Amino acid sequence: MTGGKIKLRDWSAAVVLGVLLVLLAVFAPAFYQPQPLLSLLAREAPALVVACGAALVIICRQIDISVGSQFAVCSVAAGLLAAQGLPLLLVVPLSIAVGTLLGAINGVLVAGLRLPSIVVTLATMVTWREGLRWLRQGQFVDLPDGTQWLGLSQTAGQWTLIVAALLGLLGLVWATQHLALGRFIYAVGSDAEAARLSGIRPQMITFLVFVLMGALAGLAAVMNLVQSPQVDPKAGTGLELKAIAAAVVGGVEITGGRGRLWGVLAGLLLLACIGPALTHLHLEAYWEKAIQGGIILLAVVADGWRHRK
Amino acid sequence: MHGFAMKKFLLPLMLAGLGFLAGCGKSSGPNGDSLPAGVKKISIALMPKSKGNAYFISCKAGADRAVQELGVELLFDGPTDPDPARQNEIVENWITMGVDVIAVACENREGISTALRRARNKGIKVVTYDADARPDARDFFVNQATPEGIGFTLMDEAARLCGGEGEFAIITASLTAANMIEWQKYIEARRAEKYPHMRMIALRPCDDLKDKAQSEATALLSANPDLKCIMAICSPAVPGAAEAVKQAGKAGKVQVLGLGLPSENRRYVHEGVTASVILWNTENLGYLTIYAAHALARGTLKPGDASLQAGTLGTLPIVGDNILLGKPVVFTRDNIDQFDF
Amino acid sequence: MNRPGIKTALLRHETVLLVVVVLEWFCFNAMGPSFGSLDNTFDLLRHSVGIGLLALAMTPVILTGGIDLSVGSLLGLCAVLFGKFWRDAGLPIPLAAAVTLVCGAAAGGLNAVLIARWRLPALIVTLGTFSLFRGLAEALTHGVDTFTNFPAAFLFLGQEHWLGMPAQAPIFLLIAAGVWLLVHRTTLGRSFRAIGYAPEGARYAGLPVSRRLALVYVLAGIIAAIAAIIYTARLGQAKADAGTGYELLAITAVVLGGTSIFGGSGTVHGTLLGTAAIAILNNGLVHARQPREVAGMLTGLLLILALAGASLPKVLAQRWPRRQNAPH
Repeated sequence: MTGGKIKLRDWSAAVVLGVLLVLLAVFAPAFYQPQPLLSLLAREAPALVVACGAALVIICRQIDISVGSQFAVCSVAAGLLAAQGLPLLLVVPLSIAVGTLLGAINGVLVAGLRLPSIVVTLATMVTWREGLRWLRQGQFVDLPDGTQWLGLSQTAGQWTLIVAALLGLLGLVWATQHLALGRFIYAVGSDAEAARLSGIRPQMITFLVFVLMGALAGLAAVMNLVQSPQVDPKAGTGLELKAIAAAVVGGVEITGGRGRLWGVLAGLLLLACIGPALTHLHLEAYWEKAIQGGIILLAVVADGWRHRK
Repeated sequence: MHGFAMKKFLLPLMLAGLGFLAGCGKSSGPNGDSLPAGVKKISIALMPKSKGNAYFISCKAGADRAVQELGVELLFDGPTDPDPARQNEIVENWITMGVDVIAVACENREGISTALRRARNKGIKVVTYDADARPDARDFFVNQATPEGIGFTLMDEAARLCGGEGEFAIITASLTAANMIEWQKYIEARRAEKYPHMRMIALRPCDDLKDKAQSEATALLSANPDLKCIMAICSPAVPGAAEAVKQAGKAGKVQVLGLGLPSENRRYVHEGVTASVILWNTENLGYLTIYAAHALARGTLKPGDASLQAGTLGTLPIVGDNILLGKPVVFTRDNIDQFDF
Repeated sequence: MNRPGIKTALLRHETVLLVVVVLEWFCFNAMGPSFGSLDNTFDLLRHSVGIGLLALAMTPVILTGGIDLSVGSLLGLCAVLFGKFWRDAGLPIPLAAAVTLVCGAAAGGLNAVLIARWRLPALIVTLGTFSLFRGLAEALTHGVDTFTNFPAAFLFLGQEHWLGMPAQAPIFLLIAAGVWLLVHRTTLGRSFRAIGYAPEGARYAGLPVSRRLALVYVLAGIIAAIAAIIYTARLGQAKADAGTGYELLAITAVVLGGTSIFGGSGTVHGTLLGTAAIAILNNGLVHARQPREVAGMLTGLLLILALAGASLPKVLAQRWPRRQNAPH
């Protein structure tokens, strides 16, 4: 899992991101105004939390495409609780609890019943999304005044979110490298049978990874919720693709067992910067999807390149 | 082996059976109360562009009111995401079910028209509302505002807010949304004709998501320091853009206007971030659609009529085959509290 | 115990699914009087063709242990290309259709090169092309351009009746029969399952694994192009948003039909039954006057039940082996 030499692939997303940032510095220096940049980073902080979870799921050789729907359910649940006048100190753990529960459902189906995760999470994705649509009918949830920015000033709130996301990333990086549980995820992902023979319970690890994914989705939902005074029940649509793409572009291998969480940060920032970059370079929006697809393909081709060597 | 195999066979079957029985039990409720026999209720099928959209839920609230007054039966369904092929499927299902009137907000003019023509051939009356189909595919169009009217009003309002010159940007739902493409055409036509000093500098899609609209608007603001106005032409984009402008500290310097529900924008209009929100009374739109459908089924509304009696809305004019709801309302700080949809 | 008999036939996934489909049929028939009519049966057939074709394209792919997330986007791209060839390049419809099929094959070929030749993971490659193909469709039309006013003879294909059934149905049945024969009656088809079951084993057994894999993705591209042409004929228009989200519905149909998502086992008739189960659910719930959201939720539930029904006994058997061994 950890080779001695520096691997180009671990840095390729960061390199491409660097190139993009240099391009922007030359052609659109306005990109670097502090306030908009802070906003951009704060807007992506929840996605970073989700992408870290997605990366862990992928490292465990599973996949979770229900995170967008989990995120939406947690957003609406947290929004309704906050609208009831519950303080944020309670809303945050409750949202995480809702996410944990949803994650546990995936976990039971995948680890307990040994069902393929892509199908299970496809089913839960549709079920939660349509259920939410049925219940809310697209109605926004209005939040009480003190909720936005956790009651802080805007700048302080944005910094808090960014720092929280980075701390979360740091914590997970540390956990995957130093905690037994973290290393077990890599072990299960690279060879579940070998892991079992060495005394790890692969199904338990898999279950816990899905639970963690749900909890992170719940946390991310609140981090997104405090950035505006209303909750859109369609929140998180397409988030699963963004999170998976960020993980893969960041160097996490879809076949499990390999990849560093640091890469996810670069992968996510790269994907998140394409849209704003097009806006800043005054390019037309209709190229955005094609460029995103191209970047994903490049990343995966880079993967293949390494293996062939 | 035997017991094990039997279990494998029975379990999914039983569970599936249970699921459907539960479904059966639930549906017999609404079907059961359509008595008394002999008098067949007029059934009207109403389709939004997509489900889970606050705009159409507000239309439905008005439709429900009309349904109660008229004593008709209402079916309300549509695709979960705006998809012309799915709209066709549901219309074709309704044709087979033999409803009396089909009322559709068309996602896509051409795509839906083939299904609606088929309905008309089967003797089903067809009304369109919100967005029209091909004229030969429907009897009447409940016209809350023409694309021309919407485009011109948006552009006029933007020019008024910017003093007739400067840069503006548009946030749309998706690059392929048919009605928004139509509006953009008229926005551009009006700009070229009357406001040559206004310049459209960007068009960004927000996937019909408030959060994405907020991110897009943030990027637009920082990339274009001279931006004077953001025009949000899908309803979640209006509060999304307003929040971005507010967070950038540019409230009042950059104007936000758009098409949206008063309820979602009230806060920003009062804070002075969003200058004006343009919309028609959506509840009345749903209400009028049901009245038109009912009159059509009864035969009291015929081609060539010049007016329609529509309950609490009074008598509304008909021009050609368009039933006119009236002009779009421009919601500003002064009047937005009078509307609660 | 290993003797293939009527009992094992009864216990097959496809048989159970057939029972579920029939059950659905009767249930909706009881709930909506017009559900069982001939007209509605034709509607059902017509509505299944789009997803059904993509599911047929997806079945061999999943049999080999792969996946193709790009088919829905490719449908959109091919629809736009078809419109461009016909309107802008002035090609006659049959020629435009033929060129579109070539483009579909080429797009499938891109997937094939990356997956079969360079051995990159299908999930991520097709996630990339999912974005890429949709992006190209939007870039080609700027999202705005819509192709309409196709000649009536072409629209016939999607809207009228032929041989007493919707005109697209014979094409669909023909392709279904073709894919069925390919998968179940040729050595090629057997090799798909062998590759999905154990790719290394298949390689050692002398199968040209890369070429077979490439074939599967190119075939998927061609079928997606056919689906695009039929979609265009049915709606009378081609636009960049055609087929958005269809890839997930197609995968749902295939998996519901009993094909293992890991590859190696599955049948084409299972896929057809899976498609039917979803189509009947969507259609029947309209007749039963239930909202559309319920159809989505029930599809998800059905998917989990179908899988759990097959897996639960195995898991139980593993957990309490003694109880299962007792009768022996």
